[in-house]
Amino acid sequence: MNNMEFLKPASLEDLFQMTKAHKDEVTFIAGGTNLIPQMERGVESPSLIIDVSDLQEMSTITENGNIISIGGSVTIADIAADSIIKTCAPVLADAALQLGNPLTRNRATIGGNLADASPCADTAPPLMTLEATVHIADVDGNIKDVPISKFYLDYRFTALGRGDVITKISFQKQGKSQKGNFSKIGLRKGSAISVINMAILLDFDHDTCKQARIAMGSIAATPIRIYKVEELLEGKKINDALIEECGELVKTEISPITDIRGSAEYRTAVAATLLKRNIKKAIL
Amino acid sequence: MFEKIIENQDKPKYNVIGKPKPRHDAWEKALGKTRYADDFTQPGMLYAKVLRSEYAAANLISIDTGEAEKLPGVEAVLTAKDVPKNETVTKFGQTHEVGGFEGFYRVLADKKIRFKGEAVALVAAETPAIAEQALKLIKVEYEPTEGVYDPIEALKPDAYLVGEKETNLICSYKVIKGDIEKGFEESDLIVENTYKTQMVDHAYLEPESGVAWIDESGIIVIRASTQVIEHFRGIADVLNIPSNKVRVIAPMVGGGFGGKEDITVETFIALLAMKTERPVSLTFTREESILAHGKRHPYVMQYKVGVKNDGKLVALEAKLISDAGGYIYLSPWILMYSTVTAAGPYDYTHVKVDTHSVLTNNTFASANRGFGGVQPCFAYESMLDEVAERLGMSPLELRKKNYLHTGDALVTGRVLEHAVETEQTAEKALAALGEPSKPKSSSHKVGQGFASGMLSYGRMCFLHDTSRSYVSIELDGSVIVRCGVQDIGCGQCSSLAQIAAEVLGVPMEEITVYFGDTALTPLAGTTTATRQLYMSGNATLKAARAIRDTILKKSGEILGITPERLELRDKRIYIKKGPQCTTSYGGSRGDIISSEICVDINQDRYLDLVAVVKACAADGLSLSNLAQFNAPARELVDFTTGQGQVFTDFTYGTHALEVSVDTETGDVEILKYISCYDVGQAINPLSAEGQMEGGAIYGLGQGMCEDVILEKGITKTPTFAEYLIPTSMDAPDITSILVESGGGVGPFGAKGIGEPSCVPSSPAFTNAVSNAIGVRFYDLPVTAEKIMRALGKI
Amino acid sequence: MKTYPVKIKVNGKWKEAAVTARDTLLDVLRKKWLAYEVKNGCSEGDCGACTVNLNGKTVNACLVLALQANGKEVTTLKGIGTEQNPHPIQKAFVEKGGIQCGFCSPGMIMSSKALLDKNPVASRSEIREGLSGNLCRCTGYHKIVDAVEHVAKNNQS
Repeated sequence: MNNMEFLKPASLEDLFQMTKAHKDEVTFIAGGTNLIPQMERGVESPSLIIDVSDLQEMSTITENGNIISIGGSVTIADIAADSIIKTCAPVLADAALQLGNPLTRNRATIGGNLADASPCADTAPPLMTLEATVHIADVDGNIKDVPISKFYLDYRFTALGRGDVITKISFQKQGKSQKGNFSKIGLRKGSAISVINMAILLDFDHDTCKQARIAMGSIAATPIRIYKVEELLEGKKINDALIEECGELVKTEISPITDIRGSAEYRTAVAATLLKRNIKKAIL
Repeated sequence: MFEKIIENQDKPKYNVIGKPKPRHDAWEKALGKTRYADDFTQPGMLYAKVLRSEYAAANLISIDTGEAEKLPGVEAVLTAKDVPKNETVTKFGQTHEVGGFEGFYRVLADKKIRFKGEAVALVAAETPAIAEQALKLIKVEYEPTEGVYDPIEALKPDAYLVGEKETNLICSYKVIKGDIEKGFEESDLIVENTYKTQMVDHAYLEPESGVAWIDESGIIVIRASTQVIEHFRGIADVLNIPSNKVRVIAPMVGGGFGGKEDITVETFIALLAMKTERPVSLTFTREESILAHGKRHPYVMQYKVGVKNDGKLVALEAKLISDAGGYIYLSPWILMYSTVTAAGPYDYTHVKVDTHSVLTNNTFASANRGFGGVQPCFAYESMLDEVAERLGMSPLELRKKNYLHTGDALVTGRVLEHAVETEQTAEKALAALGEPSKPKSSSHKVGQGFASGMLSYGRMCFLHDTSRSYVSIELDGSVIVRCGVQDIGCGQCSSLAQIAAEVLGVPMEEITVYFGDTALTPLAGTTTATRQLYMSGNATLKAARAIRDTILKKSGEILGITPERLELRDKRIYIKKGPQCTTSYGGSRGDIISSEICVDINQDRYLDLVAVVKACAADGLSLSNLAQFNAPARELVDFTTGQGQVFTDFTYGTHALEVSVDTETGDVEILKYISCYDVGQAINPLSAEGQMEGGAIYGLGQGMCEDVILEKGITKTPTFAEYLIPTSMDAPDITSILVESGGGVGPFGAKGIGEPSCVPSSPAFTNAVSNAIGVRFYDLPVTAEKIMRALGKI
Repeated sequence: MKTYPVKIKVNGKWKEAAVTARDTLLDVLRKKWLAYEVKNGCSEGDCGACTVNLNGKTVNACLVLALQANGKEVTTLKGIGTEQNPHPIQKAFVEKGGIQCGFCSPGMIMSSKALLDKNPVASRSEIREGLSGNLCRCTGYHKIVDAVEHVAKNNQS
């Protein structure tokens, strides 16, 4: 019988008290777009659910100087529509707009998208290119700041400990000289789960790429940065030959699996295509 | 946006027929008032759940329900031993016994598990949660067996046996015409290929659902989402009670597509209601729906075609094998459709078709929109494009040399005496497609392709199909149609209302259609086989005409003229205008016309319908009529040659597409999609277009993305997150072109469009993609990954 | 089984029920309050048949726990139009042939309304994007897009 319990904290402080008291049983819910289907299929059967979806402290997008902070419970739809994000982190706004469909975007949260630890999370690659920091609170309310490059540890495994919650994600605004974009390939055009996704952010000094940040999802156990390609681009003027070289290099830097959504070879081939196109789009 | 083109050739003028009308059931649906099967509750209602096999192949050793029965709130736990007749055959509303068509299945698993998800036990409990808990307490001992998952393997002599019989072969049919050896000898070019189609789910939005209870007279009443209320006979058989003790009600159905043609929840809830004497509700989860209702049969099809250099098709040798999965269900009927349409709407001089249906331990397959006509169409239309290419001919040129026309004989020898306008549909579709667009970049390629197809409407004529409809006119002039159709969303009821409205001159809004209730509506047969407009439309037409005759006869008496000179429209009886008629009547008979019922506006004289109805009632004339329509009945076709008549008539049409293929990702964008059909006569063009658009996308799903993926019988695509049907972003705009030959056997010359509309989608799609990239495809679906492989990019 | 009280404003009226933590908004709407205009197509947020408006946003009611909706406002199809006063989108769905089996229609109409509330003059491709969370198996979407486009064009003029 399902004897699941439900708690809804009124504040962060309240949340920490609750999680401390129930550390071993707690499962958090925000948008529920991952958790509820898993409960429906019997994959998850938590004994206690704590609802963080309406926590004021985790539900705002703020701008502080050059830093943008997005509360863990901010929905994907709100990120996609936010004027700060659209102007200061368009690579993330792009990704948010392509995640799922309007109904899921209205519920799914950025914290949930990361905490779910899926290798195909659409917000992960842009946050990696932005070198975002994930702010994680433990049951005592202690915050640890984890760079997103250290957040994903292994397949379906993150830096989140039992009872930990993502309070916010922060990152520096995209600079004027930074050009970036996000793209994905799914098995259909609407309401698609990524077979592969990718974000790039290139910083230019005139026509020289002085910094490159490239991240991809669904091509390894976790979303990953493609450091070798970044290195290849940095300090160079981008031309067709270099782009082709990037396309070849990326194939050796990823280790996709074959599953019902696509084979490793397919993912590898389109990874190269997406990368080349994204770079071309960025230098337009 | 594309312009809609409706062809109107010298056809009779109708008042209501042929007019684009909002469906009579649309407002209730738009306002959220329609009550589907699950939108219903009863006091004391229990909730049922089904325990399903985790294995695709196993011996069932024992089932212990003791713990489950003890759980508080559990009212019944049933297994195969509790089912009075557990081994049964599906008859799906068939009243004429025909040898060779026996769709064996078990209500609950016994002896052998034959597919993953097979129902093993049933629970009824006070809440769904308790029922769910009880399932976990049922202990089932299985002995897993190897199973067989490939129909070709299953045919081998030493194959694992899915059932208890000595062979996995269910049935085989043939078509033999001419001399196939001679045909290939005479051919200048021979092309041989093997085509494969995948397993497809219906993916109706409404899962299988129903509530059963025992009424105050002891009748088992089942209100369920079904395409066949006439399963009441089969249900009674399973329950071992007389047929007249089971009543089935079909409320509006949230999509059927053939998936609700077999019994789904009905026997389960009936058994539980009998056991508990309480109402029992059961709605499948989406996962159960995908696991455990019949799918579209996967086919392996070997095609060998011989052709002359001038493009004349000479010989066709085809071997089709259908994977029926764990039980027979409707496999023999479906295979017969494939056999008859294996050559498509083309003329071949020499033909040899062999078809076989085979049991495997895959999810069972049964009816699915297109019913065995979809798979061969992928083969024969892919083949013709390849033949055309090899001959250096355009695909249309080749087909135009071989399309069948009215009066020609199908490969089964059956002369097609009703309109065959396939060629016209192809020409119109291609004209609408126009010149190819320019590719949007150097990595994109644009291609155009098309495919023609045919499918019967109405059931196989050796089944001796019938339908009944009752029409009555009330004293206030409102009209009632009672007809046991199941309305599965294609406008079945609305069409009947439109037909009655035309005949009786009453607005559609003033017609009530009572439908889908074996106790209250005359039996109209199944809503399958694209037969309701044809069968029940004709029955309703017949019944309505009988009442109109009564009314016109009475009006004639009142006016003192013959009824032939009168017409009924807008709730009035007019004297027809014409050279031999005059609008004035008066004269010596004028005195008998009461001023109450005779009105004169602008010299347009008429009788008021309500007044005439009252006059009829006062005279004791019948204002209701129960009519039966019998489809032409034929003898069983010869299974060893396939020669003879299997169907009354077919609907023919063509789909044409233009696609843009991204050669670096395999992504396909559909730039244009044209669907052109000869619908005979559109009863409601808005509805007919709706069927054509919906059918095009339904079929396109099979062409481009849908796939029930099984690994050793285990479904890897159990939800809509894995089983991907097209979304609004995947579906293109559709240009529907309606050709109206008037040559159908339905009411007013209509043909059926529901199923035929989806038949050529996948070959039209793949032909277009092949045209773009220059590589052909032999199996479905053609996904982006498959395109990349075809291009040699991976 | 532990139950909790919930209070949700449905189409302008506060409703109360006792629910379990596992019950979804869809469960409480359909099973407790007989809001049958909200359909259940998959229970996993993959089809959109249960689309309702929750505090101004369209959501899959199956992906919201009933307790998460506590104290909030829900609008269902019956809350946007009546027989006497239908919403223009409902009228357009009827007249343009956007309804066949009707099972997706409540959710589809709710999503159409949300789309046009935000973007009253949405183009065909914007409409297709806006409805991409709502599956339809009957219509092929063409006439649904026609219906929404018709209302959008009326909004334009």
